[in-house]
Amino acid sequence: MVQSIFWYLKEFLRGPWIHAFLFAKTAPLVTPSYFREYPSLTEKECTHCFTCRMICPAPGAIEVLQEGGTWHPVIHRGHCLRCGLCVEACPEGVLASGRILQWQEEDRTSFAATFHIQVDHATCMRCGNCCVSCPVNKEQDPQMASGGHSANNEVIMKISSGRHTVIHEERCVGCRTCEGACPNSAIRVARVVEGLQGVAEG
Amino acid sequence: MSLLQDAKNWVRSRSIHVAYVDVGSCNGCDIEILACLAPRYDIEQYGIYVHNNPREADILLVVGAMTPPWVERLPALWAKIPAPKAAIAIGNCPVSGCVYNRRETYILGPVAKYIPIAAEVPGCPPRPTEILSAVLAVAPTVFRDYEVNRS
Repeated sequence: MVQSIFWYLKEFLRGPWIHAFLFAKTAPLVTPSYFREYPSLTEKECTHCFTCRMICPAPGAIEVLQEGGTWHPVIHRGHCLRCGLCVEACPEGVLASGRILQWQEEDRTSFAATFHIQVDHATCMRCGNCCVSCPVNKEQDPQMASGGHSANNEVIMKISSGRHTVIHEERCVGCRTCEGACPNSAIRVARVVEGLQGVAEG
Repeated sequence: MSLLQDAKNWVRSRSIHVAYVDVGSCNGCDIEILACLAPRYDIEQYGIYVHNNPREADILLVVGAMTPPWVERLPALWAKIPAPKAAIAIGNCPVSGCVYNRRETYILGPVAKYIPIAAEVPGCPPRPTEILSAVLAVAPTVFRDYEVNRS
C-alpha cells in the first residue's frame, strides 16, 4: 500500500502531467471544408432564372440582384439557414457550399417545380404592385408602370378591367417577389416541388 | 490604481458569466449552446460559466424569435443584469425571425428593438464554435477598462 502511494506521487508530480492538468485546452477547432457554409459564388454566370429564390425556405434570405450589368445571387446572413437548397436547385451551378455540388453530380438529383398563383379577391385592392414587381412581367413588358396595366397579353398577370387577372401562370418561376410587394398579403404563390433522382436534368 | 485596474481587467476578461434566455425558439439553438457546454467544445476552459440567474450574469444570450409574452419581460430581465453587461443574439431568430417571420405568426422581432444587442451570431442554428468565438470576441470590448470608460 505504501508502495502504491509512492507510485501515485511519482506519477502525478511529473511536470508534463501537472502542466496538462492545469492548462489543458481543446485544440483550435477548424470548420471542415465539407460543412455546408453560406453559399459562395462560383465563376459560372447567373442567368437570373430565380430558381434559388423559388426553393429558398427562409423569408428574405436570398436575392438576385443586377450589379454592373451582371446578375448574381446575394445571400443575407441572419436570414439564411445554410440548408443548401439554392445550391442544389441552381441549374447553372452559380452557388457552391460544402460538398453539395459533388453529391448532386454523383446522385444526379434535380428539382421539378410547378406553381399556382392564388389571389384573394376580397383583400386584393388592384394596386398592381405584384404585376409591376414581377421580374418575368418586367421582361415581357418593360413598359408596365404603377397600376399594373398592360396592353401586352404575354405577361403572367395584370390588372385588367379593374380586376387582377392571371394570364400565363405557366411562366411563373416561383420567386415570390409579388408576395413581398403585396400590401395586403392577398397574393400567394403555391409551389409544388418534386425532388428527382437519376433523371436527366431539364 | 492602474495595477488594480489591470487586475480587474484581467479577471473580467477571464471570468465571464453567461445567462441565456429563450424568447421563443425551436430549441435548435439551445441544443447548440448545450453542445458548447459539453466536452467537445467545453466553454468552461475559456472561463465562461453558464448561469440561469441574470443577477449573476455578465452576458445574456438571447435565443429565439421574439414572441409577445417576452416584450415586457425581456427588458425587465435585461435590467436585472448588473453592469458591465452585453447581450448576444444567437441564431437567425433574434435577428430576423428566420422561418417564423411569416404572415399569420406572432413574431415581434428583432430583439434589438427591445434590448441593446452587442453581437449577432447568424445561423440556423449557429455552430458551437461560432457561438464561442462571439462570446470571446465581445467579452474584451465590453469588460476591458469598464471603470475608465464610465468615468
